Amino acid sequence: MTYPEAWPEAWPEAWVLGLLGLPALCVALPRIDPSLERQRIVAVTAAITMALVGSFPMFMSTFGAWEIHLGTPLDLECRTPLLRMNRLSSVLPTMAAALWLLTVAVTPKMLLARNGLQRTALATLFTTVGFLTENGPLLWVIWAASVRTLLSALDEEAPPSRSHRDVVGWYLWGSTGALGLGVALVGWSRPGSVYETYGLGLLVLAALVRKGIAPFHAWVPAVFERGRLGPSVLFCAPQLGTYVVAVLVVPRAPETMLRTVAVLALFTAVYAAALAVVQRSARRACAYLFMSQSALVMAGLDCASDEALTGALVLWVSSSLAFAGLGRCVLVLEARRGPIDLSQHHGGYERKPILAVTFLLLGLTCTGFPGTLGFVGEELLLAGAVEDFPLLGFLVVTSGAFTGIAVLRMYFSLFCGARSQSVRLELRPREAAGIVGVVAILVATGLYPAPLVSSRLTAAADVLASRDRPRECR
Amino acid sequence: MTPSIPLLHAAVVLALGCPMVLFGMLGAASLVPERWTEGAIARVTGTSMLICVASLTLAFVVHLLHGQAAEVWTARQWFSSGSGAFRFDVLVDTWSLAFALLAATLCGVVSAFSARYLHRDPGFGRYFTLFAGFTAGILLVALAGSVEVLFAGWELIGLSSTLLVGFFHDRRTPVVNAMRVFATYRFSDAAMLTAAAVLHHEVGSGRLSALFLTGDEGSISDLSAGSATVIGLLLIVAVAGKSALLPFSGWLPRAMEGPTPSSAVYYGGLSVHAGCYLLIRAEPVFDASVVARCLLAAIGVTTALYATLVARVQSDVKSALCFATLTQVGIIVVEIAVGLRTLAFFHMIGHVCLRLLQFLSAPNVLQDVAAFETARSRPIALRKAQGRWERRLYLFGLERGFVDTVVDRCIVAPFHAIARFGDRIDRFLAGETPP
Repeated sequence: MTYPEAWPEAWPEAWVLGLLGLPALCVALPRIDPSLERQRIVAVTAAITMALVGSFPMFMSTFGAWEIHLGTPLDLECRTPLLRMNRLSSVLPTMAAALWLLTVAVTPKMLLARNGLQRTALATLFTTVGFLTENGPLLWVIWAASVRTLLSALDEEAPPSRSHRDVVGWYLWGSTGALGLGVALVGWSRPGSVYETYGLGLLVLAALVRKGIAPFHAWVPAVFERGRLGPSVLFCAPQLGTYVVAVLVVPRAPETMLRTVAVLALFTAVYAAALAVVQRSARRACAYLFMSQSALVMAGLDCASDEALTGALVLWVSSSLAFAGLGRCVLVLEARRGPIDLSQHHGGYERKPILAVTFLLLGLTCTGFPGTLGFVGEELLLAGAVEDFPLLGFLVVTSGAFTGIAVLRMYFSLFCGARSQSVRLELRPREAAGIVGVVAILVATGLYPAPLVSSRLTAAADVLASRDRPRECR
Repeated sequence: MTPSIPLLHAAVVLALGCPMVLFGMLGAASLVPERWTEGAIARVTGTSMLICVASLTLAFVVHLLHGQAAEVWTARQWFSSGSGAFRFDVLVDTWSLAFALLAATLCGVVSAFSARYLHRDPGFGRYFTLFAGFTAGILLVALAGSVEVLFAGWELIGLSSTLLVGFFHDRRTPVVNAMRVFATYRFSDAAMLTAAAVLHHEVGSGRLSALFLTGDEGSISDLSAGSATVIGLLLIVAVAGKSALLPFSGWLPRAMEGPTPSSAVYYGGLSVHAGCYLLIRAEPVFDASVVARCLLAAIGVTTALYATLVARVQSDVKSALCFATLTQVGIIVVEIAVGLRTLAFFHMIGHVCLRLLQFLSAPNVLQDVAAFETARSRPIALRKAQGRWERRLYLFGLERGFVDTVVDRCIVAPFHAIARFGDRIDRFLAGETPP
């Protein structure tokens, strides 16, 4: 093990144990206690504790990095650590914990599947391990396991609504295959060789599919509209594809490859935001909003400027939380009203102002509204993108404009219109606390973004510096 | 530049802080089940507005006593990135303080009027929350010293305006109209954000002194004519959207769906003139670009002619007033385009006050006309259009220049067609049968 100056000797192990032990405990929980409500209480407590434990590195001003080395067949020469914590991943476990907390706190009781909490904890465990490694083979295992978790959730549906399942499976297993092949090629080929370029291309392809970047995106709206919304949101929101690009592709890929991906991502951002404007299904609109946000993050990640990269990393956090919150709001409404058609106005603002206001604020975060974390991310991304390539900046702005229209259209449809007295719409305290908590984080970090931006700036500098390191061993 | 004056700074920060804190407080209060009473909301709003106006008056007097020189100062560094810092900069000069004082005073007057006008309305708290957001937004626009602050204010005005147009949201029409207003705003906001990004790119900072003040470091004189033209054209689009200049005028009558006090302060008063204020401030940009100046003049003239024709045939008082407002806004824009900045500023102040009063008294006018007709025992006769051209102009005015039709056919319909085609492709790729 290697330790930085700020970490006392035994802390990394204790920290990892705390971080991964909590979701692992919840995975085992159904065997201990079959009561869903008690399981939920334990899961909420575990998620809050995990968020606190995960945020620990953010408060250490001299935080450097630590690594746990266990050699793997593909990385023996470079000795890529099995697990490590660096500046890039310092905020990501907290984000994973927040997504877990949001999921377990806000999922309505009637939508809670028998093993839903277990699956949620498992997904969080995979995501967190994924964020703590840049070891290619381990990332591939995590990738495949998370795909399996989502598909197992889709398998639980009744056969008539499973027609989409095969298509989603093809896309996601395809991306898993591409990632595995890419990791193998990159690991075994000489740096700078044509095989490494092919490998990087495969890694990019895997990430494009997982992030829903056009033209590899068709599974995203399908799984959101016709699959189970909760597991789909938890699968997409952490954006593991972004992480793979940041740690495996950006340090090695040639600039032309990154530029091509950035252009593709920005066109996707505009395309998806435009399609979100015309959707009738709230779920499908959510899917396109996710695609647009995810594409903006990808675009920033592939820019050469540190400002754009910082913006992308900030936007990653803000879009993940905001999108997960939006998805949960839709889920909460569906549990009370059934499928939601956005061409109608459903009313009910007076009876659930908390949900309406939080929905609007989450949506505004996606559009980059001032006072939210989304604004900080988009401003940085825009400033960097314009510096890099002015057309990219224009596309960022256009995507933001369409996203804003789509969000407000959803808001008007979901909460405005004639008052309906027949449906019980009030939120439970658990649901309200979960959604308001996420909004509070997004607004607080939007009004006082300096610590987060500074942390992401150093992470961006690390990522860019990794491009300049000797190619033999990164 | 004058040396910093702590008293002036403190007064300006207090003036900006009051509506922001009020916005946050009322917004948070709207989330809790036991809401504030109408009296409490009105008292808190009134106190906040009073402090705001008093602070700005003090700031204005201090500024006049200290030589009236312009100053940009950083109230707070928001965050810094690799190549630059994003600051909360405030620009203090005679123009900005005068406009801010006017805005705060009118918002205070309208909030007092609204407390009675909206008595026992279920959306009382929501109205005042949005109104506080608007006040914060217009003060940010007035006193912005950096593009980030300007954009924040600009967005806040747009959002509060949209949500107030859809204030009576249990009816479908206000919501549909609010959506239309928001779509136009987003288009203009995109232009504003692009202008901000270009400015950042060219000057290396977001300080508005580069646009607003001549002879300052990193001023507009450092920009090439091409860059100045690009920034100027983007500003024109941003202003045209917010001030309902042609070709974006279609949203203005739709915005009349909101409560009358909000229509008064937004579309008769401050919101539509916020664009004019920005153009007045950004005159150095138009000095540097003949193309932008000519386009601005052309838009101003056509908007004024269009609005005066349309205003004459409107059948409801609020629509007639909003097009009358637009006529004057067009004329103000022409004044700015030909370089009469001081005249434009005073024209704007006088016009804002007049229209606001007319909007607020519009419901009374309706009653007065009814009383007048009852006293005469016959309705007021309207002259019919005669002759071919007069009838054509009448039709043009009645259809509001066919602006909405043109936008629907040339922008909305093609956009929907393309997006639906994309959606069909996506469904096909996902293995679904095309609908």
